[in-house]
Amino acid sequence: MTYVALAYGFIWGAVFTYVALLGRRVAKIDAEIADLRQRVKP
Amino acid sequence: MLSKVSKTRKPQAIFAVGFLLVLHGFFIGPLLVAHAPLEKTMGIVQKIFYFHVPCAWLLMLSTFVCAGGSLAYLFRGSERGDRLAQCSAELGVLFGLCVMVTGPLWARAAWGVYWTWDVRLTASLLLWLMLIGYGLARRYGGAGGRRLAAAMALFAAADVPLVYLSVNLWRGLHPTTKVVSSLAPGMRMPFFFALAIFSGLWGVLLTLRMRVESAQARLVELSIAVEDAEGRSS
Repeated sequence: MTYVALAYGFIWGAVFTYVALLGRRVAKIDAEIADLRQRVKP
Repeated sequence: MLSKVSKTRKPQAIFAVGFLLVLHGFFIGPLLVAHAPLEKTMGIVQKIFYFHVPCAWLLMLSTFVCAGGSLAYLFRGSERGDRLAQCSAELGVLFGLCVMVTGPLWARAAWGVYWTWDVRLTASLLLWLMLIGYGLARRYGGAGGRRLAAAMALFAAADVPLVYLSVNLWRGLHPTTKVVSSLAPGMRMPFFFALAIFSGLWGVLLTLRMRVESAQARLVELSIAVEDAEGRSS
């Protein structure tokens, strides 16, 4: 049972970590867009 | 122009589908797997199969998609193909990692060792390493890094049939490809449910990752345009 739980937990942990990393990339792009907005403001 | 970049990153529908898939995969999947009949020889550890095989399938699918995108980039100069290849390779590394962790857990219980240099295991490890190499070539390969990585993706795709057929061609410890078709009726539904959920999740992750990559590419173009405009005005 331990091995099954470990395998299941690892897969979902990996997927959620990947989604969190994607979220960080999106946040970075948002910050860069905000920076560009500031620069193009008349 | 900036609003166009922002608009591309509001994938509510994709999030909704992803949420449903995670909900089903996280809660209903384990219930189905728990109620599936126990395999006589291996007992409960056989249930790793329901997660391990879908991850292996996605490793292979990611490699084929990566190779397809790389072909489009190499022979038609398609930037979209290159982005598809990059995102797909990343997912291949993710699901490959899951294969490399869940497989040895099963092996420890079934064979008594975490790892053996069986052809299937070795070919799968090589495939996973090639996808990691693809990412490293892109990142650190300099000016020609993307083309080098694309060529690597084609080699990785050539390894996929070897991975799949190795268990039939060279009989080792790993179960053969016939294991799916010979599943007991009670095991088929949870297996195909898990396969569908994982495949759907892969599709959602690929779509999201592609959107992030497209937004990033457009942002780079816009940054250059803004810098040019600032240079002209000063």
